[in-house]
Amino acid sequence: MAFVFKRLALYLIALVVSLILNFLLPRMMPGDPVGTMFARFRGRLSPEAMDALQQSLGFTGESLLDQFWSYLSALSSGDLGLSVAHFPTPVTEVISAGLWWTLWLAGISVLISFTLGTALGIFIAWRRGGVLDQTLPPLFALLGAFPYFWLAMLLLWVFGFQLGWFPLRHAYGDDLEPGWTWLFISDMFRHAALPALSIVLATLGGWMLSMRNTMISVLGEDYITLAQAKGLSSRQVMLRYAARNAILPNLTGFGMAIGFVVSGSLLTEIVFSYPGQGYLLVQAVRAQDYPLMQGLFLTITLSVLFANWLLDILYAVLDPRTRRST
Amino acid sequence: MNSLHLAAPPSSLSHQRDQSQRDQSQRDQSQRDQSSLGWLLIITLCCLCALSCRRDRAEQREDVLVVSVEQHSSWIRNFNPFSPNARRFTRAGVYEPLMIHNSVTGELTPWLATAYEWNQDYTELSFTIRRGVKFSDGTPLTPRDVVFSFMYLQRYPALDISGLWSIISSVEESANHQVTVILNEPFQPKLHDIAQHIIVPSAIWSKITDPVAFTNPHPVGSGPFTEVNVFRSQVFELSRNPHYWRKGRPAIRSLRFPAFPSNDQANLALVTGEIDWAGNFVPAIDRTFIAPDPNQRHYWFPLVGSMVNLISNTQTPPFDQLKVRRALSEAIDRERVVEIAMYSYTRPADSTGLSDGFQKYHDESISHDYQWADYNPTHAIKLLRDAGLRRDHRGWYLPESQDPISLTIDVVSGWSDWVRAAQVISHQLREIGIDARVRTSEFSSWFDRLRSGRFELAIAWADDRGSPYEYYRWLMGSETVKPVGESAAGNFHRFGDRAADLLLAQLKRGTSKAQEQALVNLLQRRYAQLTPVIPLFPNPQWGAANRQRITGFPSQADPYAPLSPNREPECLLVFDRLKPRASLAHGGER
Repeated sequence: MAFVFKRLALYLIALVVSLILNFLLPRMMPGDPVGTMFARFRGRLSPEAMDALQQSLGFTGESLLDQFWSYLSALSSGDLGLSVAHFPTPVTEVISAGLWWTLWLAGISVLISFTLGTALGIFIAWRRGGVLDQTLPPLFALLGAFPYFWLAMLLLWVFGFQLGWFPLRHAYGDDLEPGWTWLFISDMFRHAALPALSIVLATLGGWMLSMRNTMISVLGEDYITLAQAKGLSSRQVMLRYAARNAILPNLTGFGMAIGFVVSGSLLTEIVFSYPGQGYLLVQAVRAQDYPLMQGLFLTITLSVLFANWLLDILYAVLDPRTRRST
Repeated sequence: MNSLHLAAPPSSLSHQRDQSQRDQSQRDQSQRDQSSLGWLLIITLCCLCALSCRRDRAEQREDVLVVSVEQHSSWIRNFNPFSPNARRFTRAGVYEPLMIHNSVTGELTPWLATAYEWNQDYTELSFTIRRGVKFSDGTPLTPRDVVFSFMYLQRYPALDISGLWSIISSVEESANHQVTVILNEPFQPKLHDIAQHIIVPSAIWSKITDPVAFTNPHPVGSGPFTEVNVFRSQVFELSRNPHYWRKGRPAIRSLRFPAFPSNDQANLALVTGEIDWAGNFVPAIDRTFIAPDPNQRHYWFPLVGSMVNLISNTQTPPFDQLKVRRALSEAIDRERVVEIAMYSYTRPADSTGLSDGFQKYHDESISHDYQWADYNPTHAIKLLRDAGLRRDHRGWYLPESQDPISLTIDVVSGWSDWVRAAQVISHQLREIGIDARVRTSEFSSWFDRLRSGRFELAIAWADDRGSPYEYYRWLMGSETVKPVGESAAGNFHRFGDRAADLLLAQLKRGTSKAQEQALVNLLQRRYAQLTPVIPLFPNPQWGAANRQRITGFPSQADPYAPLSPNREPECLLVFDRLKPRASLAHGGER
């Protein structure tokens, strides 16, 4: 338990640093939100309206330090402010419009990609030199090397447009009322199939190859030979002796991937018109929407930290050595 | 045998050997492994099949208009008509203006007001408010609501986006259902801005404490579509106002807005026939959109958008010289620019710099008298020499300069039509020996450069705001010129002319129709004499419609309004004419 708390303290420090960066980074960009807002009116905004709007948006020209304090005090009460690009909608509302769909789509595809890739990696390493070992790595390396945009467009065009097997856009049918009905949930799966497939195809190779490579080097260890010598079943040797050790680097990657899930996959969202965080982030950057950027960065940092913390614990469970060395 | 293996180094070779020895004992196991993988594959395939089976969908209803405007990945609920981020058709659909300026006919169509009248010296503008108009909650719209809607902007300056209260001094209710707007000074060209102000119910808005930060989730308005029945992140619907004042209108039940984050997705839906009305750019539209169903699909891109100009900083040499500006203009082959950058959707500009939105003012004789908008590279070179520039193999030189002129054309990255135009222009300028490079940057930094005047050449829009007065004021009005370094709201090319000022002042003071025409003709001639900017082409208004389910859209043959859902408030004129096709016994074709 002490281990868990020690880790927690470390993460708290990381959190504070990232909060400061969240605040500073958007403000280091060239240009300013008022200028971009003005720009969207193509000069039609009267000077009086501009001053008044600045006031209500909270750009009152106060010093950076003052801004930082008001940012912190608002944050501590859970207030992320009002979005500039979607003014006057609160940032929390803007983020929640995309967050759940991102979690669902990117979450499910990372999960599938990781489990399938790792399982395939274990399997082809165990039977290295076999047919699968000779065909799968080059195939997925090739798919992964395609520009993702192109791959996704191709899938959309073939399976969505030409064959008509899958819907062309959105997270569920436009004529459906969201709810926990069978119709809606099956429709959600149908709509997620093509975007998820595109992500899985593009990322599966990475998981598989890294798992295969670590697995092969682990398979050369003495304790594997010992396990086999003891007459353990080959499944036990493969999974409990070899894979359990070989999976650690992949798990680290998984933790990172889970964290980045929250930042959304911009290209998937654009190609498949899927709602999500990625597009919001781009919009926020374009409009220099400081509050929205801060809110999005905050959710991303929090989830990366949280995923890594969970992973640390998982590591300790899987590999007792990490517990002792800290 | 086991001990022997333990002693041997676990090289990969020995591994493979001992694997073959193990094979016998492993066979059962590996078969199980393989079969479980097989099962996994089968299950995955089954899932994919199940998912790909088409669900029986409700047929798209005949009386719902599916529109593609605004590009967002998910909708944010905002129906505050004073908010710059309100959903489209809030200002013309949920709410309505007093009158509608039709950019195709150039007329003011009476709407919530039946007529307007100026006093003798153009300082008081009276509107007669229509009787019998009701808001969607059933309460009547009265002159009180009109006065309130104007006064509201005074109370909350952040809402006064077009700065009405910089010229209005008061608004009063007068006899005979009239409302009078009193101005600080004679200002006839402001008529459009005032007449198109939207009217909100005073009973509701007087209770809103912070209208600037109000998203108005359940709007009450006088327009044809006021009921927000469906609002989800990827689609929303605006349905018919039960108390709409125009009897029997609108004939369509609701408007439906699917969210598209990009042009590509919107175009895909347009091509598959899922969208009835779209206002986004479609490349090669005849082939992609029209060809599948030429009878029902049509587009109309009237050139009534603002003029797109190549602007130069006229306060810095060499652009302070008329001859240099004209030389640049004559070096540009606008036919090529239009063909490559705009898919020939528009036409080259002439020396009046007027788009088709100002067609009724256009003076044909001027484009004959001044031919600096025609492609003539040899004359361009002569002009540069006349301007005192020297030339050698490295390029053109300013009179006392040692280094050849090197210019940058600023464009916004991602505005692909303008970027292409800039590339063509840079190529053509190089042909007469001027080194011009294209620089693309993010909107805000591009805009910063323009506002502060720290640029050489840039592609930019002309600010017309629907009236020739505003158009010429921002092109040549001395009062809009800011020194380089100071942020300007318009007139980025920083050009002012005394003679034009006098003409503008007369136009502002108010004139008869004939006088107005004469003044605009003089301004046109002044523009052609001075070449304040280098006009390239008028911007088309993108509009495409699919008449399979719904008919009545404007077209070139029936140009009652522009065919563009981006034109607020003119889309109200379109909503008024749209009809579902179901009534025409059209079944069985799909």
